[in-house]
Amino acid sequence: MLLIPIPLLSQGTYIDENALQPAQVNTYWNWGDVHTADLHMYQLDGIVDRNLTSEQRAEFFRMEFSKLGLAASTQNYTFTTSKGTISGNNAYAVMSSPRAAGTEAMVISASWLSTAGHGALNVRGISTVLSLAAFLKDYSLWAKDIIFVISDDYLHGMHAWLNAYHGTIPSNLHTDPLEHISGVIWTALNIDYSGHSFSHLGVFHEGLNGRLPNQDLINSFRFISHYTGGLPMTVYDHLEPADLVDRWSEWSVLPSWTPAFIRRSPQLQQYEYRARNVVRHIGYQARGMCSGVHGLFHQFRIDAITIFAVPAKGPHGFHALGKIVESTLRTMNNLLERLHASFFFYILTSPGTFLKIGMFLPSAILVSVAMLFKGLGEWVDAGWVREVSEVSLKGTGSLEKEPKTKDTWRNRRRPMLSVLITMVATHVLGVLVFNLLCSRRFDENRSFFVPAILAAVSMIPPALLPLLPKNTPEVAPSSVLLKSSNLCLASTVISIMSLLNFSLAAMLALTMGVPLATSSRSSSMTTSLLRYAAYCILAWGWLVLLPEEVESAIWNWEVLGVWFAPFVCIVYAPLVMQAGIVCLQGSS
Amino acid sequence: MFPMHFQLLQACLLLLACLTTLVVGTSNSSTSTGEHAANFFGRHDSTSGHTNNWAVLVCASRYWFNYRHMANALGMYRTVKRLGIPDSNIILMLADDVACNTRNKFAGSVYAEAGRRLDLYGENIEVDYRGYEVTVENFIRLLTGRVDPSMPRSKRLLTDDRSNIFVYMTGHGGNEFLKFQDQEEISAFDIADAFEQMWQKKRYNEILFMIDTCQANTMYSQFYSPNILSTGSSEIGENSYSYENDNDIGVSVIDSYTHYVLKFMEGINKTSQTSMQDLFNSYDPVKIHSHPGIGSDLFHRPLDKALITDFFGGVAQAEVFPSQEDACLIGHHESGSTSLPFAPESGAPSLPVVTSPSTLTVEMHVWDSQWKEVRKWFSVFVVGCLVSWVSFVR
Amino acid sequence: MDEGTVLPVLVCFRLLLAVLPLPGQHILKHDHQINSPLTSYLRLKEGLWMLDNNVDPYMGGSFHHSPLLLSVFSTILPPIPIIWAVSDAVGAWALLRIWRARQGLSLHRATTSTAESLIVSAYILNPYLLFPSLALSTSTFENSFTLLTLMFASEGKPSSALLAIAFTINLSPYSILLLLPILMLLVTSPASQLASPRPFHGSINRIASLFGEFMLYWLVLVGAACIIADGSWSWMKASWGASLTLPDLTPNPGLWWYFFTEMFDHFRPFFLMVFSVHLVIYILPVCIKFQHDPLYAAFLLIGVLGTFKAYLTLADPGLFLSMISLFPEVHGYLRHPIVTTLLHLHAALLLPLQHILWVSEGRGNANFYYAASLVMGMAGGAGLVDACWAGMRIALGDVKVESEGKGQVARWEVARWEVAQE
Repeated sequence: MLLIPIPLLSQGTYIDENALQPAQVNTYWNWGDVHTADLHMYQLDGIVDRNLTSEQRAEFFRMEFSKLGLAASTQNYTFTTSKGTISGNNAYAVMSSPRAAGTEAMVISASWLSTAGHGALNVRGISTVLSLAAFLKDYSLWAKDIIFVISDDYLHGMHAWLNAYHGTIPSNLHTDPLEHISGVIWTALNIDYSGHSFSHLGVFHEGLNGRLPNQDLINSFRFISHYTGGLPMTVYDHLEPADLVDRWSEWSVLPSWTPAFIRRSPQLQQYEYRARNVVRHIGYQARGMCSGVHGLFHQFRIDAITIFAVPAKGPHGFHALGKIVESTLRTMNNLLERLHASFFFYILTSPGTFLKIGMFLPSAILVSVAMLFKGLGEWVDAGWVREVSEVSLKGTGSLEKEPKTKDTWRNRRRPMLSVLITMVATHVLGVLVFNLLCSRRFDENRSFFVPAILAAVSMIPPALLPLLPKNTPEVAPSSVLLKSSNLCLASTVISIMSLLNFSLAAMLALTMGVPLATSSRSSSMTTSLLRYAAYCILAWGWLVLLPEEVESAIWNWEVLGVWFAPFVCIVYAPLVMQAGIVCLQGSS
Repeated sequence: MFPMHFQLLQACLLLLACLTTLVVGTSNSSTSTGEHAANFFGRHDSTSGHTNNWAVLVCASRYWFNYRHMANALGMYRTVKRLGIPDSNIILMLADDVACNTRNKFAGSVYAEAGRRLDLYGENIEVDYRGYEVTVENFIRLLTGRVDPSMPRSKRLLTDDRSNIFVYMTGHGGNEFLKFQDQEEISAFDIADAFEQMWQKKRYNEILFMIDTCQANTMYSQFYSPNILSTGSSEIGENSYSYENDNDIGVSVIDSYTHYVLKFMEGINKTSQTSMQDLFNSYDPVKIHSHPGIGSDLFHRPLDKALITDFFGGVAQAEVFPSQEDACLIGHHESGSTSLPFAPESGAPSLPVVTSPSTLTVEMHVWDSQWKEVRKWFSVFVVGCLVSWVSFVR
Repeated sequence: MDEGTVLPVLVCFRLLLAVLPLPGQHILKHDHQINSPLTSYLRLKEGLWMLDNNVDPYMGGSFHHSPLLLSVFSTILPPIPIIWAVSDAVGAWALLRIWRARQGLSLHRATTSTAESLIVSAYILNPYLLFPSLALSTSTFENSFTLLTLMFASEGKPSSALLAIAFTINLSPYSILLLLPILMLLVTSPASQLASPRPFHGSINRIASLFGEFMLYWLVLVGAACIIADGSWSWMKASWGASLTLPDLTPNPGLWWYFFTEMFDHFRPFFLMVFSVHLVIYILPVCIKFQHDPLYAAFLLIGVLGTFKAYLTLADPGLFLSMISLFPEVHGYLRHPIVTTLLHLHAALLLPLQHILWVSEGRGNANFYYAASLVMGMAGGAGLVDACWAGMRIALGDVKVESEGKGQVARWEVARWEVAQE
């Protein structure tokens, strides 16, 4: 896995879809339009100063769109979660295509809050959308409808809008149907411009539950940004080492005492840069989080990215951004069918290079296969361990015919029933814990519940263990059987997860691979108890150690439907617990 | 008596002289007018022997991003029309209508150069096959003349054994195939066989086959019929590239090979004596970015004797038929053959049985559903009988 | 729980599932893993509707079910979920009776053993069988009739058995594979003879007369089917012909559809023949090799169908897996049960996942799903080969017990062999 960032493994990006034809158009976004954007920005600044409510804001945006003659409306929504309700207002406008039937659409959106965090407002992003609406409406060459969405807050506004648009309103969302509807949305651009000006445009692409947009979209954007806008694209807000010649030392994680020639080695800098991209990617994807508002689109098969204006002192502003967005829209307009070539599985190591699925998948699959073989080995051992151990005592390879003890293969049956019950029980325990975490009471008495849950989950297995039938010499020890089936199940989970969400599978391979394979009973009670405690912490320790993560994961589950939290509770933690029980069983 | 005799003799002499002069004069004038006519209508240096010119221009690919293929075909259309082939003798096949595509900023126009000076679409364009009519089957049927009787004349290739045909194809292709509409392919063998069929049916005198696609030269590698001159844009394993794109239209507007051919053609007029060899000499692999090929092994004339206008120009040539009777005979034959399709109608159409249809259907309906019920229950009954019999027997 | 109550309890549970409005049933009915065009409930409903509205159901090419289902569901029974639950119960009951007949137990014994409750739950709780049944797929009926056939044949009731197989073949023509072992079973005994193979001792003449009886029943059923189809033969092409000519290439967990989507049309007839003949090839070798135990031969042929048939649904391998519980004597001789289990686990998880990736999320393509169905095919094949191998090895006796006397070397050899096989 450490090899992933190595430049040699990556290959250059290319554009697979013929229809896109990126960066082949003249752009007509000019300083007049920039002036419009500036005016919008001043108005928005006024709104921020006057502290208007969300509803008033949405109404203002609706008015602005209506002034342009677009079909505009607002949407009010309320989410109910275990922590109370969240509500807000979106404004949107549909510009119907002048010469086409309006069965397809593209979205340009901006959220009120920026990806940059710390409450940064996306004022300039919204101004860009408003002025683009005025600008784009003057052209008759759109083959698809263009929908402008200004969503409230950061994520949940767009989530509510998308669900209302597609008619998939979850039970905890209350909203009215949208007033204006267009065709099927194919692609979406989310504009995030919170600073004063920018030097690079960053692309955020991770979506909910590890979904990625088609890579062609990112590649075309890179082309356009480079040729039309004349400014480089970056992955996230990470600047490339070449752009940071003098300031690289501030970014580098290498300590300052390392010799200068190491720090300045271009290969090492390149590796470090790519590693940072990969780590950030895995961080988003493994947790199923989206890296921006665009991520909400992916679940509806819409390819979307966020264009993030990396804050800097200059030199670019509305002019470059507008040109690039205009050109990107022309490219998206050229699409004849959804982006479909199997360009959905990749790791973007740098703006111009990516890793194919065939290059990174083996790293997780290998671990999984190793676990599978280990599990199968344990299974064979379960039937044969006794004899093998005696043989090794007598000296391996000895050909003497010696009388053996009476245990035969038939006697060493491998009773799976108690093992299966144990496994099912741990998963049921996981379901219970998860339900508890999602309940309102947990949120109110967090300080009480966290230790209580931890104590409960760690005490229940030792307490219930004596209920299981005792090991008899005739049958294989259930700890070995449990370990074998635990490994096989974990390996299955990892290999299947690697297709759905590679980063999560990679994380699972890291956290479960070695610990599960090395779980074993120990002769001394203390050692095994200690081991058990270690497994408990590995399984449930995040309850105590990472409270913010828990909170955000549960919020993501309740509002956005990210299944990372239930997965951890119901699949991951029980698997690790089973390894812990293996240790306990050996000692009892 | 004598004077009378003399008079008679004189008259005879006069008559003789008159006759002689008449004969001589007639013979003289007939040769001179024939030469004159030949000089006027004839083929000058041409050794082709054709009397009419046709052009088949095919753009086989659809979609907006293949704008340039439409533009290629339309560029050729403009050239052959300018050089004198009338619309009735041009079969233009365009697989898509980019002029009216919603993405076209200049609606109703197609341009083949970046400056957009010359609109190739305009008012006087006759597209004979458009959109989904452009299929491999229709193309082969067109060439071989095996079309439906209801097919209008504008969609037929009404050639004979004195016709020179210019066949131009463009689209996306590969080794020995050309894609049609992104869903089917025509292979080099298909075209070769179609040409052979045309030769056997005396549907052409000479063919110039020109193709602009990737690995285009493979497309004429399988030809085996005589009198075909072929040329393609690129060798096997080579791509054909586009020449330039217009930044307002947003896509490439013409292919490199076609661009240079058209550029060469701009210097040709109807009376031009430029030969095919000159055209082939103008090919520059460096500029075109591929190696155009020439297939002249089936062509019986020297290339420097084959004029460009033999294929691109419209020949208007008068042919003196052997005699009036023969012509009448031929005409008669033709009319006879055309009357053949009128097959005698076999008997009068049977009279429809006039019974009140509505009541009948209702009755039929009721009876039908009753019968259906009977069938259903009877089949269940049969199965039930079988089951009970089996359980009884057992 | 008392052992004797397992069957009633599970049947009640199954009936309860049928009565209760389950949330996911709508999704199940559209799922390609458990409904093929030949067994889908939605298509059955469509056929019934067309019959009601005086349209020939077999005309449009959307309906492939047997006409007998049409006549039954349009007259005496409405197609309600209870019938599927009852069919499941009948299947479980038949499986239980086969077990008793094979073990030589009295048919109506009061006491029952753990094994019996295991067999019943292996049928009713088998997810491969439960989900198709919840989705109201007609494969449930096919399975029940197959088990009824085997039950009657094991209990020595030739007429009933032959009628049942005639029904089975009418519902799904591939079941013709089972005809020969069932005829053999009727003239011999169902008791396990795997450990002591001997030549076939039944009378061949009797088989011929039984075959004649079968043909009679079958022709009567065909006649009944023709009556409902208004005397036309079009239903044969539409229902039986569908499994031979593969007109509908809806994806399923089987191995056929992908080949035929990729194939050029002019090779199609040839490969259709190859694929169909390939299934028939298995009959004779299996029946000759297991002539001493025709029930086991039938079991293996069900395994063949559950792996290679056209329009496979999960119900087909499900029947094979549930039937494994009938043969406890071979369990010890299975070489790689855990590999088969893992393959099935992978397949069962991969199939829906790849289906979602391809169809609903649009990230994958048909190759993804086909890879999963290949895993499914491997799982089926592994189970089949293992069952075949175990059935033959049991005749050699307990190798390990003998090897004890022979000493360490042989034991080591066996151990290495085991490991290598794993």
